Amino acid sequence: MTELVPYLVALVVALPLLAGALLQLPRTPGGADRLNAALSLPTAGVALALAAIALSRGGAEALRGDLYLVDGASGVYLALIAVVGLCSALVSPVYLRSAGRSWFSAERSRHRYYGALHLFWGVLLAVAIAGNLAVAWLLIEATTAASALLVAFSGRRDALEAGWKYLVLTTLGLSVSLLGIVVLGLAVSGSGHSGLRALDWHALQAVADGLPHDATLVAFVLILAGLATKIGWAPVHNWLPDAHSEAPAPISALLSAALLPTVLLVAWRLKSTLEAAVGGGPAGALFLAFGLASLIVAVPFLWRPLPWKRLLAYSSLEHMGILALGIGFGTPLAIAGVVLHVAGHGLSKALGFYAALPLLRGDPEAARRAPAGMAALSPPTATAMGISLGTLGGLPPSPLFVSELLILLGGMAAGETAVVAVAAVALALGFLGLLHALVEGVVGEPGGRRFVRRRGERPVAVLTAVLGAALVGLTVTGLLLPGSAFVETLARGSL
Amino acid sequence: MNDVLVGAILVLGLGVVVVRRRSAALGLVALQSLALGIGALDLASERSSEFVVASGVLLAKAAVLPALLLVVMRRTPEARLVAPAAPALARLAGAGGVALVAAALVPPLGLGDAQTEQTAVALVLVGIAIVVARRPTFLQLLGLIVAENGLSLLAVSVPGGLPYVIEIGALFDLMLVVTVAAAFTQRIHAELGTGDSELLRSLRD
Repeated sequence: MTELVPYLVALVVALPLLAGALLQLPRTPGGADRLNAALSLPTAGVALALAAIALSRGGAEALRGDLYLVDGASGVYLALIAVVGLCSALVSPVYLRSAGRSWFSAERSRHRYYGALHLFWGVLLAVAIAGNLAVAWLLIEATTAASALLVAFSGRRDALEAGWKYLVLTTLGLSVSLLGIVVLGLAVSGSGHSGLRALDWHALQAVADGLPHDATLVAFVLILAGLATKIGWAPVHNWLPDAHSEAPAPISALLSAALLPTVLLVAWRLKSTLEAAVGGGPAGALFLAFGLASLIVAVPFLWRPLPWKRLLAYSSLEHMGILALGIGFGTPLAIAGVVLHVAGHGLSKALGFYAALPLLRGDPEAARRAPAGMAALSPPTATAMGISLGTLGGLPPSPLFVSELLILLGGMAAGETAVVAVAAVALALGFLGLLHALVEGVVGEPGGRRFVRRRGERPVAVLTAVLGAALVGLTVTGLLLPGSAFVETLARGSL
Repeated sequence: MNDVLVGAILVLGLGVVVVRRRSAALGLVALQSLALGIGALDLASERSSEFVVASGVLLAKAAVLPALLLVVMRRTPEARLVAPAAPALARLAGAGGVALVAAALVPPLGLGDAQTEQTAVALVLVGIAIVVARRPTFLQLLGLIVAENGLSLLAVSVPGGLPYVIEIGALFDLMLVVTVAAAFTQRIHAELGTGDSELLRSLRD
């Protein structure tokens, strides 16, 4: 099957771009919806096929080609982005039917939306298999342009504010990253290697031992600090709650479940690649610092009665912090936790944002206030919200309960007892905050709120069943991960 | 690159911190981009043909981006100048301080030319300072370009040049981002009747 990989890599990038172009052609909104559904399936199918090949190889060496790299981590990310992208594309008509005003003219808004969505999806898939640091940077920067337009799609004042903030802050952050890449390029060329291929992940890893420590450390810090703005790590997370809450719900799902962790994959690969040059201590310490800062900043917001999508946004900050801790610990147990957490967080967070579709259609005021008593108002919406919140809070037996446990145990194995203690307290507080939101928002009293039940409930009910089953499957898989060849290879960081 | 040219590129960036009129700021950024392109072309004679192409693209950027932004500026007329967030002298002192701190703290980056290294890092920071200190979205957009010019200065000064794919790719991304940012600027102006980013502060927890 590996001989198919170069073709699948080409298709996984080309299909969504082609879809984005073709989606400018339909003459009616219904035609655009149908073509969107038809074109989403091949993209997801090819990405899942590539993911299956990557995952079936277990602990085998990564497959490399011209500027691409397909390893176990790519497999997990491709599968996640494929599933979330497909779900977002399929539920988008539910959003568009009730979107009202838009940045674009009424007759072209669907076309522009779908074009940007498929472009964003395609570039995200490409980041997951980028085999070169500079190419990964270029792709991440390209996600900004497409996703900023989607964040501000409604054209409302708040959406414009969120989109502008996202565009400016992440572009500045990525400028700092590029500065680091130039510094790294200097260090690499000083060691006798040059050209674009010198920045391939495996080429960098091969020469890392001989790179100058100080210059490489400066480059590492700059690149990671810049990526942190896009991952949404505290303290450079300001854009995150605004963009997630103002974007259309299917786009919020892609931002939180796919974009943030995918940029984090690049940061993870950077650590694996340059650890030999900068030292495991400083590299890990930076991840731990970002991780703890994100957890500590996020937890107080999880206790506040925030609007649903804003609560999910702060939960993203918390979960990106947990992932940073796992990568910072770097032990096989922690890495097993990271892999499981990426998938579990992605699916449950996406489900949470999809639940916002019927929620906001039934009660538009929910965009500005915390939900209450949804079980009495809309059982399908409440089920999706409950499964999402329960999983995100780490309620047993959710996969995030297993993954957080693995990450904390991995931290103990790494000898980072103090960090583990602080993280455990923060996680417990975050759990209680989300449990409070679950009780009040889902099973509590509606408090006289009005909710008009509409058609948006049905697709979300289907997604709840599918993603809920996938989450159960993930919990079982998570129990098998520790000690597997797949995780041992990832923990070694061999690219 | 010629020391005078490097110094001029920094001074032009600092000018964007000070001037009040958008047209003046745009002129300064256009000049800065042009100076950068000329400096790169000057270096190109000693380098590969790929670098010549990259230098040409830099020069094209110096023409295309200001032209695009000129159109944006004309489409978003301001009835009166947006009130500054701080006096010009305070803004200059802040940005100048940032540039000086950068010069003092930046460790050797491996270029072998401390002035260019310090100027490049200072320009990135000045670009960030422009975004933070200037209220009009149009000027914030120019701040992004100033920061990117700092990166280009460092990139073209790398002995032998960075791989041209990176330089051209980064320029393509910049064009993409600036185009989207220009669309935002117009939309924000249409929504608010002004490009004052101070009015975009309603999202808080």
